[in-house]
Amino acid sequence: MGKVDLHFQPTVPVFDANMHLGRPHDRRVTVHTAEDTLAAMKRAGVGKALVHHPHASFRDSHDGNGWLMELIDGEPAFEPQFVCNPSFDNLDEFAAEVEEHGVRSVRLVPTYHMYPFRDWVLGRWLEWFEDRNLAVWVQVNANGNNSVDFDPSAVHDTIKDHPNVKFVLSEFHYQIALWVYPFLRSLPNVYAECSKFVSTNWVPEMIEVSSVDRVMYGSGFPTEALAPQLYTIHRSGLSDEDLAKVCGGNLERLLSGA
Amino acid sequence: MADIDTPIIDFHCHLGRWGRPHIDDDIDRYLHTMDAAGIDKSLVNCIWFGDARRCNDVVQKFVSARPDRFLPVAFVTPHYPDEAIAELDRCFGELGAKFLKIYPNYFGYDTTNYPPEQFFPIFEWCDDRGIAVMSHAYGPYLVLRTGWHIGLSAPRDNPNYVNLLDRFPNVKWVIGHKGGGPGQVPDASVEACRDLPNVWLETAASSSAAGAFEYVVDTVGADRVIYGSDVPLFDQRNEVARIATADIPDESKKKILGLNAINLLGLEI
Repeated sequence: MGKVDLHFQPTVPVFDANMHLGRPHDRRVTVHTAEDTLAAMKRAGVGKALVHHPHASFRDSHDGNGWLMELIDGEPAFEPQFVCNPSFDNLDEFAAEVEEHGVRSVRLVPTYHMYPFRDWVLGRWLEWFEDRNLAVWVQVNANGNNSVDFDPSAVHDTIKDHPNVKFVLSEFHYQIALWVYPFLRSLPNVYAECSKFVSTNWVPEMIEVSSVDRVMYGSGFPTEALAPQLYTIHRSGLSDEDLAKVCGGNLERLLSGA
Repeated sequence: MADIDTPIIDFHCHLGRWGRPHIDDDIDRYLHTMDAAGIDKSLVNCIWFGDARRCNDVVQKFVSARPDRFLPVAFVTPHYPDEAIAELDRCFGELGAKFLKIYPNYFGYDTTNYPPEQFFPIFEWCDDRGIAVMSHAYGPYLVLRTGWHIGLSAPRDNPNYVNLLDRFPNVKWVIGHKGGGPGQVPDASVEACRDLPNVWLETAASSSAAGAFEYVVDTVGADRVIYGSDVPLFDQRNEVARIATADIPDESKKKILGLNAINLLGLEI
């Protein structure tokens, strides 16, 4: 007879490494307010979440980041993540906003913002990330129109040239398993946020190709459900210590700059 | 954790090497992920090859190794209709297949480029025996492309449109991937299945928006949603989790995880 937990709750503190807060333009979502998001987090046993606004990643980072702070409105369960567009944004103004709001990580979305992930675009920003010890999420996923393909070679080579910056590969799909494993093996300064990765046996394999210190739970909520990835992580044979790292400890440590 | 005992049947499992990670017929990994996901039995198909007999031989070899954990699913290719009926006879007779899996768009069939007649002898054979047929469908676009073979979403003015639900009323139609939850709610292709009693929706999905799975169950009812994983492309734990963690009654979860498949196929577990 099969075995299943129909009332699953995580057994360790959970800090979600990838959540969207606010309405995207290209689809209706069932949850987009802070209040409803907190209720969903409570039901799934997710204590904290790193959140960004979908408008910032799809289109205008400045407006999206501002709307994000309005939605968060001081709620401590939400850790704000600002999106930047190095091909368009003013670095000095962006840096001032990061300081003002105590932001500890940024997100780059070269697919939607449509720029080459190369030093000649990112150069000054990469120096600032390193000086400021900011963790940098690089979003792989792109759907629909007005985006360009993700170029893993460009991202790999640029990251390799900046070993002191900690990057997080985010929202990669099962169909890229062919390159994501060698990518992580090659780059020790890259972490994996696994919200969209459902490839068979992905938890132990991600740990094997990187390390248990570089794999992080993320949900992608609300364009993905909150709990399925957590359930899989809990059924992957990890020790309590490793489970705590993957479900939130690694993210906490990364954001603290350690 | 507080596991409960309930039958869990994975309706959507692939075999056949494909030159990708995990798609390599590793039976030990298969059993490991089944055990970790709490799955009793996996219904395995092989649909990647142009030679259907070779596909079904792969399935037979796997099932023969662990008949207590794997159940066979038949496949035939519409490109060689003269071979299809004999292969159906072999699959459902000699090999003990439980249902037929087809994948029209993988084999180049859509509503505009090909007439559906190549499938008709296959469907007639299944209709005569009341056999379940599962077809791949993915997103509204592919439901439109493959809609003709289930008679759901293809436009009525399409000259290739055939209402297969009416033409083959004894077939139990299972729509692959439609039960996992769309990218947003509502979804026209799910709504189209609301009042079709001989259509079931299978749950495998690489992506499903928050609340979308609950919407599917609410729309078509828990009796017509069936758990499937698409393993080895997707991890079976993830696909069980979509059901186990959903905001639906426990009795609905049990139906979807296994009881519906047992009833549909007449399985003895």
